[in-house]
Amino acid sequence: MENVVAINKDVNIVAYYFKRGTKRLRCFPKKMEWDGKNVIFTEQGLRHPTKKGQRMIHVFDMTDGSADYRLEFDAQALTWTLVYIADQAFSPMDPQYAASNLSAAATA
Amino acid sequence: MPQATSALQLPLNRAPALVMHIDLNSCFATVEQQARPLLRGRPIAITNRLTKNACVVAASYEAKVKGVKVGMTFGAAKVLAPDIIMIETDPPKYHHVYQILVNIMRSYSPNIVMKSIDEGIIDFSGTREAVNKRPLTVIGYEIKHRLKEEVGPWMKCNIGIAPNRFLAKTAASLHKPDGLDIIDHSNLRKILSKLKLTDLTGVAERNQARLNACGIYTPLQFLNAPADLLKRHVFQSVCGEDWYKRLRGYEVDDFESSVKTVGRQFVLDDMQPSEETLRSRLAYLCETTAIKLRYKDLCARGIYIYLLYASGDAWYERRMFKSTFFSNAEVYRRATLLFNRRPRGDWVRMMAVSCYGLEPSNMAQVSLLDEVNREVWLTETVDQINSQFGEFTVTYASSLKAKSVVSQKIPFGSTRYFELLLNRA
Repeated sequence: MENVVAINKDVNIVAYYFKRGTKRLRCFPKKMEWDGKNVIFTEQGLRHPTKKGQRMIHVFDMTDGSADYRLEFDAQALTWTLVYIADQAFSPMDPQYAASNLSAAATA
Repeated sequence: MPQATSALQLPLNRAPALVMHIDLNSCFATVEQQARPLLRGRPIAITNRLTKNACVVAASYEAKVKGVKVGMTFGAAKVLAPDIIMIETDPPKYHHVYQILVNIMRSYSPNIVMKSIDEGIIDFSGTREAVNKRPLTVIGYEIKHRLKEEVGPWMKCNIGIAPNRFLAKTAASLHKPDGLDIIDHSNLRKILSKLKLTDLTGVAERNQARLNACGIYTPLQFLNAPADLLKRHVFQSVCGEDWYKRLRGYEVDDFESSVKTVGRQFVLDDMQPSEETLRSRLAYLCETTAIKLRYKDLCARGIYIYLLYASGDAWYERRMFKSTFFSNAEVYRRATLLFNRRPRGDWVRMMAVSCYGLEPSNMAQVSLLDEVNREVWLTETVDQINSQFGEFTVTYASSLKAKSVVSQKIPFGSTRYFELLLNRA
């Protein structure tokens, strides 16, 4: 079993960053305020849409290099929810698996 | 006097290799590793439930290196790889990747077939003149690159190119992960000489035994076997002739099968379930079976119940009715008729409900009988509410307990109910 802490609380995303996608710019959260702490995300894993009834929810899997965070953005209520934090028991991410290094390896 | 039929004799198919098979190997595990960078490089197993006895539905390459195989229990996987991490399936995530894959494939040819959640086929026939003039290997590498661009840098896929679907799938499994291979008439014998019989899709233990019994021990011997031997002695059916053609690169697998049954099954969470628990689970299975029926715009005339007991004994009963049915209440009522006849005295381990005798739905037809109309309107209204506010917003009290326990999970193979599954996820 992995170490997953369910949070399910509203959080503030105070900074964003943009990335060029294949068709348009994609927006990702950069800095999160939660429980009096600031978390700065270093890499996005996957952004995927899902539905709750008719409401569109955008799910963001983010990491700050030492834990994975799952955030949900409600496109109707315009709220951010921190769903869970995972993998805090593990050592920090191996730099060789960071997206920048993987992309560099692929193009080399 | 009956005329003797001449035995089928075909050379290797010399047609150009225009079928491309794309396979996201270890799809769920790779997608999870893409989504959560901290899992990259670690052995992970994807299971449908977070319990020790849950079956591993996908394992990462790091886990496979340690001997973990799809289908084993998580407990057994943990013995092989003590540091393995268990992750529960997350259907919306896989569906997102599936849609991206479909869009990429569709940009090359309108003739695509998704064989399952993580694999599909592009048929380039008829597109080479005007659209896809580049060599298929170049297109293959472009698809790999686009997948990394659009999903993420951790995504890998195997690509196989051949004159038919079977050989394309075989080619896709030659160099895992992230391989790209071509099989055509020029290298078919060379590639088959390096494989075992069970490396061929569709040949497992039983077919291997059938082939061995007729003196066929290698894929090359299988290829060289005459059609008559395969048809009359090995498979004793037309399947033998299909294998003869398939191995030579002729297409025999481009048919679409229609839906014959719609159903659900569940391995009980309680080792000694009470009558109340059994009926609650049955109600839930019937409700979700009826939802599936309506999703496919079908109604059924027959129902089938299957129970597996703790002793290993199984019991089933089926019945065909004169009238068709589609509503949750009717499926449950008719299933209960059969369920009440079950043998008692042992604990039920697994139960399954299936509807058969399927026909196009007649819900749009207004009936002369008011009670039938009322049932249709009620079902439509409940379906609309559930579609607007989420599945099971309005539901039966009898199946309420089961809903907290039984969750819809990723099925193997078919993508028929993927959209429906997502609404409930």
